[in-house]
Parts: sequence; C-alpha cells; structure tokens
Amino acid sequence: MSEITVFKAKKIITLDPNRPLATHVAVRSGKILAVGGAGCADGWGKSTLNTELENTVLLPGFVEGHAHMMAGSVWKYAYAGFHDRIDPGGVLWRGMTNIDQVIAGLTAHQEKLSDDEPLLGWGFDPIFLSSERLNKHHLDAISTTRPVVVVYSNFHLMCVNSVALELAQFSRHSSAVGVVKGSDGEPTGELREMAAMFPIMRRVGLDFRDLSQKPDAMQSFGQVACRAGVTTVTDLYSSMTDADVSEMQRITGHKNFPVRLVPALNGMETPPDKIAARAIDLKSQSTDMLRLGAVKLMTDGSIQGWTARTKWPHYFGGQPNGIWITAPEQIFDLTKRLHAAGVQMHIHVNGDEASELAIDAIQAAMAENANPGLRHVLQHCQMMGVDQFRRCAELGICVNIFSNHIYYFGDQHAALTLGPDRAERMNACQSALDAGVHFTVHSDAPVTPLAPLFTAWCAVMRQTGSGKTLGEAQKITPMQALHAITLGAAYTLHLDHEVGSIEVGKCADFAVLGDDPLTVEPSAIKDVPVLGTVSGGRVFLV
Amino acid sequence: MTPPPLSVVVISGYLGAGKTTLINRLLGQAAGQKIMVMVNDFGAINIDADLLKSAEEDTLTLTNGCVCCTMGADLFLAMGDALDRQPRPDILVIEASGVAEPSKIAEAAKAEPDMRYGGIVTVVDALNFLRTEADMRIGAQLREQVIAADMLLISKSKNPDPALISRLEMLNTVAPLHVDAPLISALLLRQPRMPSARAAIHAEYVQWSFEGQKKMAFDDLKSKLDNPPDGAFRIKGFVNSDADTAWEVHLVGKTVDVRVCPPNPSTSLVAIGLKGIFHPENAENWWNSNGR
Repeated sequence: MSEITVFKAKKIITLDPNRPLATHVAVRSGKILAVGGAGCADGWGKSTLNTELENTVLLPGFVEGHAHMMAGSVWKYAYAGFHDRIDPGGVLWRGMTNIDQVIAGLTAHQEKLSDDEPLLGWGFDPIFLSSERLNKHHLDAISTTRPVVVVYSNFHLMCVNSVALELAQFSRHSSAVGVVKGSDGEPTGELREMAAMFPIMRRVGLDFRDLSQKPDAMQSFGQVACRAGVTTVTDLYSSMTDADVSEMQRITGHKNFPVRLVPALNGMETPPDKIAARAIDLKSQSTDMLRLGAVKLMTDGSIQGWTARTKWPHYFGGQPNGIWITAPEQIFDLTKRLHAAGVQMHIHVNGDEASELAIDAIQAAMAENANPGLRHVLQHCQMMGVDQFRRCAELGICVNIFSNHIYYFGDQHAALTLGPDRAERMNACQSALDAGVHFTVHSDAPVTPLAPLFTAWCAVMRQTGSGKTLGEAQKITPMQALHAITLGAAYTLHLDHEVGSIEVGKCADFAVLGDDPLTVEPSAIKDVPVLGTVSGGRVFLV
Repeated sequence: MTPPPLSVVVISGYLGAGKTTLINRLLGQAAGQKIMVMVNDFGAINIDADLLKSAEEDTLTLTNGCVCCTMGADLFLAMGDALDRQPRPDILVIEASGVAEPSKIAEAAKAEPDMRYGGIVTVVDALNFLRTEADMRIGAQLREQVIAADMLLISKSKNPDPALISRLEMLNTVAPLHVDAPLISALLLRQPRMPSARAAIHAEYVQWSFEGQKKMAFDDLKSKLDNPPDGAFRIKGFVNSDADTAWEVHLVGKTVDVRVCPPNPSTSLVAIGLKGIFHPENAENWWNSNGR
C-alpha cells in the first residue's frame, strides 16, 4: 500500500459543500483520501504529516478553461506592453506607459543578445498610448545594425527599424497596403496584417509554431500555470501531429511537470469529414496529465479589432459589422458532424451574432441527434445576455466568459467599440448565474495574463483599467467567482469528477495561497499571493 | 543560386462556387510549370491515377512536377514552407476559404521579395450568388471577394441572369468570363514572354510587346499602369529609369506590382489578353501617350 501524506494548512477552502472548510488533507497515490482535521486520515492507517504548507491557505487547484501554450514561450521575446506582467521565471516586468520607456526597455534587453541576433519584442499596445505612433526612428535609436521588431499585443501589427525594412526590401515603392508610409512617402516602420509582416518574420526567424508544442514551450507554460495556482490548463487551438502528441505525452508524464494539459484540436485545419475521427483517435491517446479529444472551432473575430459579428445596433462608431472566419453554413455543418460523433466542441464567439449562431447550430445538431451530455462550450461570450444564457442552459451548453476584458479593454469598449450601454452588460456573469448555465471565466493568455485570481477579481469588481466600475448589476460574489475558476471550469472540461474541489476521491491538486481570498477585501483578491501548487500530491512552490 | 520568385495566384469564391473544379483543371494544364496548390481539403482534389506519383498524409506529388498540399493551421507559415521548398515551385495557387478576404492573402505576394503577384481569381456561382449576397450575415464578405478580383469567373451557367452580370459590373470593372472559357489556365499560369523568346503564341491570345530605349520615372510609370489598355490581363517586363535603376513590372487584371531592380540593356514590356477583348493597337497608343 502507498504511503499516506497528511498536509497541514492554515486553512483549506474545499469548494465541497459537505465540508466547506478544513485544516488537513490526506493524500495517497496522488489522490485525496480524507479531508478534515489533524486526525482525518487516522482510520486509513499510518501517515506522515507534512507541515511545509502549514502557514498557507489551500484551495482546489485552479482550472484555466481558455489559454494558449504560447503564454509561456512568448517570453523568449522582450516584453514591451503597457501593463505590469510576470514572466514564467517570476520576474516582474513593469508596464511601459510611454514610448521612451519602451525604447529603454528594449535597449536594456539588447545587452543580452549576440551581435547577429535580431531584437524581437512583443505585447506593445498602441490603444493605450496617446502620443505619436511607434515608428522606425524610435527603433533606430536602439540599433542601426541589427533588425529590431516589435510585435503588437494583438499580433496583427508590428513596428520595425530601418535595418529590418531593408532586409525585406520595403521602400517608398512598395505597393503592399500593409506597408504604412509617412507624409514623406517612405515606410514609417509600421506594418499591418500578416501579408506585410510575413517578409520580416521570415527573415528574422519569427515563427509562431515554435511557441507551441515544443518542449521548452510546454515547460514554460507549466511554469506560468504553477505561478498562477493553476493545476489544469487548456491550450485552446492546437495543431497536433502524432509526433506532437507523443512529445506532449512524454513531457506531461514527467514527475516534474506541474500541470494537467487539456489541448483542443484546431477544427479549422482538418477536412470536415476527418475531424471527428481525428478527435476520437486523439481522445484514446489521453493520459492522466494530458486530456485530448475536444475540438476548437472559430466563428468571428474580436470586438476591439471590430471584427466580431455583432447584432443591431452593431458598432458604436458605425464601423461595418465584423467578419466570419468560418462561414455560417460551415459552422452548422461542422457542429452537426462533431455533435453526431460525440465530440465536445469549444466554439469561439465574441460578438452576440456569433454566439446566437453557435447556439442555433448546436440546437439544430441536437434536433437530429440528441447525444446528451457533451457539454459544448461557447468561448468568450462577451456580448451574451440572459436570453442567450437561458438557451444555453436549456440545451446543456456551457459558457466561458472573458472577464479579464473588463479590466483590459472595458474603457475602450465603452468609448469606442460598443458604447456605454452594451459595455456595462459585457461579460455578464450575474446573468449567467441567473440563467442557471454552467459557466467559468478566463484569461485567453497570452492575450491577457494567466492568473485566475485576477480573473475572479475582474468578475467580482468589474473595474476597468481607468478605475471605473463597468456594470454594477453584473458583479458576482467572491465565492461565486472562486467556484467559476475551479469547479465551474472543471465542468466545462468534463473533469469535475476529478478536479475542481478538495474532496475524497479527487486528484490532490491544490492552489497554495498566502492569504484567504474570501476574507480579504474583494478589491484585494487579485493581490492574494500565489505561492505555488500541489499537483497530484507533488508540491511545486515558486 | 537564388531561385526565381514564386508567382502567387489566389482562388477565391464562396462555398460550392467551383474553386476546386478550377484547381483540378489548372493542375491538368500545367504545361511544364511546376505548380504548387494549397487547398483546405484535398479530398476534393481529383487527380487522375496515372498523373499521381505519390500520396502522403498532407502532400500529393504529381508526375508533371506539380504538388498539392493542405494549408495546415496557418496559411502564411505554409507560404514560407512553399518558398523554402526544394526545388522552389514556379507558381503557388492558393485556394482561399469560402469567407476569406483574398486580398489579405495576395498582398503577401506584393510585400515579399521572393514572391510575385499572380492575381486574384474569384469564382462566382451563377445560380446562388445574388441570393447569398443578399444574406445580411455574409453578403459583405462575398462582395469583397468580387471587388478584389483580377479575374471574375462565372460557374454553373452558360447564360447567367443579366441581373447577376449587372450586379458584378457594379462591383468590379473586370469583365466576367465563363469558368470553362478557353485559355483561362494559360492566362493565369503562363508568364508572357517577349516574342523572340518563344514560338508562336496560341491563336486566341493576343499579345503586344515593346523593346527599346524608353526610360520612365516611377510616378509616370505607375500612373500609366494604373490605367492600363482595355482587356490586357497581364503586363510584364522591365522599364529602365536612370543609370542605376530600373522597374520590374507585373500587372495582373487591375493590380499593379512594381519593384526596383538593376537596369537592363533595354526596356522591354509585353502585354497579353484574350482575342476580341484585348487590342494591341490600344496598347501601342497607351504606351506612347504622354498623358497620365
């Protein structure tokens, strides 16, 4: 018989209504054997007391229902963003709130590079900078000998220096519209959309494929998760070859890998008649720490990029309605095939027209073939109202709400994209609760940082970057928010029988915190220190 | 040695318009060109068994030197792979998804030094276009595809509804052709050459060419190319500017791609179009006129 370890904590918040609070949890074979006081496991035989966590507060390991693996590996580039952020190694990177700070930060990073390496930055966001646009002259101040490339946080734009422009042969004669030119007719250094960014990326070796599935990408994703108290994390758009799968099995199976990985197959790159079979094949290759089998589908774009599909009255500034990345009739077709085959879908829906379409498509698929209990998940759900949530509840569809948007983009949504009325009811957690739909909240890391306590804070406080409250009526309680980032997310991944609460029989996955998020001021939930995790009974302190 | 640039042709059109049928035809009529085709689903690609050399999970290799592959997760990464492929193909034909904005793909060919713009072809379903265009959900995206086209091809009817033709004329000045019209593959795939370089051209082609010492500044050349002679589908060549500079010219349909290159011994330009639509004397007047 395996050994029993009893972890002692200052407090254990279990999320199990049968025993909401405890001080000790007993673990055997990576699973929870008993919960309660010091003697909780006495009846099970001899045990060892572990006091390593006795001054901490334990919660169920957090579950991030929508992130991307590149959230870790993107840190191999220099951070140039507006907000403070913490890298996988735990270093705090101060947000850069003006162009001079961006230049100073990149110049400092350059010291670490050899002479023939390009300087690559990420995370710059012009929407927050009211001064002049970043241009090649700023970046020429950093180097006139190596290419300097700053990718913006939306990954749709970049700015490069003169060396990089020359490398791609961009000049006043370039005819591609994405090569932005100044009043002097010369390229400014700003490049818009992939077509114009592509020649640069090819020449400086910027390949987004390297940011996923590779061993170092997985390791740093694991570090990022651990630092956020996350023990189960999704990678919601994964191209998985058989070689990738064995690599993922190998790395996640290592005893030092701290997080359970749940990748969803990119449903847009496999022919429609083959996706379901591929997903079922992948599911059969799942292990304890690697859960395969779900498929991700795209519908529309993003609200801040004015490409989400919105219902009337559409965009606040009168911009044309957004775009479908997948044609509506293809969404119906794919949904029907995957649902009939019993494959769970995660469907990206930002605008309310897109979420409505996805609900319609699932309902149509169910009318042909009930196939109950698949728990399809609408992802982002930013403009859904109680009406759409009720339909989801009726149909057994789950929703994953993008609460971090309230802080990161809420001011812009009120002023620019949707106007004040609809901005106030965006990412409507209270409506989801009222409708009785199964829901969770997410970061979409690296779009916003992976940090479930911060996401919970967003759902509780609904505070924007400028400090305004956006939609008082949609605030939820701290306990409801903690449920969303644990059991709520676990439910959307078909894992609520294994993780999401601290109760007998489940995995010994805990978030190790420095304080109690239920007794601190709600405004301080985001500041509760995360000390690490316990994953399958293994302690990972940061 | 650096291989010659890769010419990129984008095939656009809504679901079911007939993009795959056109691609099948292009593959069969490659005429010595190494074509690489990128499609979403090659279950629909129909290769004669005797033309198929090998089939792997995501690549079909043909005996005529052509290759057909799936796009994978990211079209641009796949484009990079096409450029790095040994030997590099002559032409990359990309099947855009049913709702893709083809110009967003084709722009890469203008931006990338190792690629050349080969045109956007939009296939229009004669039976369904007007109905789908009226659909509030997707109408705007279908219109974009028609507006961006350098070549508009009508499928599914030899006698399309006049209402469709007038609608297309409102959206794009390019005259629509039937998808089965002769020489479409030739117009898309064959690079026009100076008359001396090759034997006689096909009887249904019309060609105009110039060779001489004419020199032009960028702005003058650009405004000339922005108003090309009627019916010229392709214009290609080199136009000298000054002692150090010349312009490499590619025009396809209504799209102009001009790049800087080293000067040549002379300026040479060739234009092609279909008989009855393109008239060489118009091209001659166009070339000799001084107006912008």
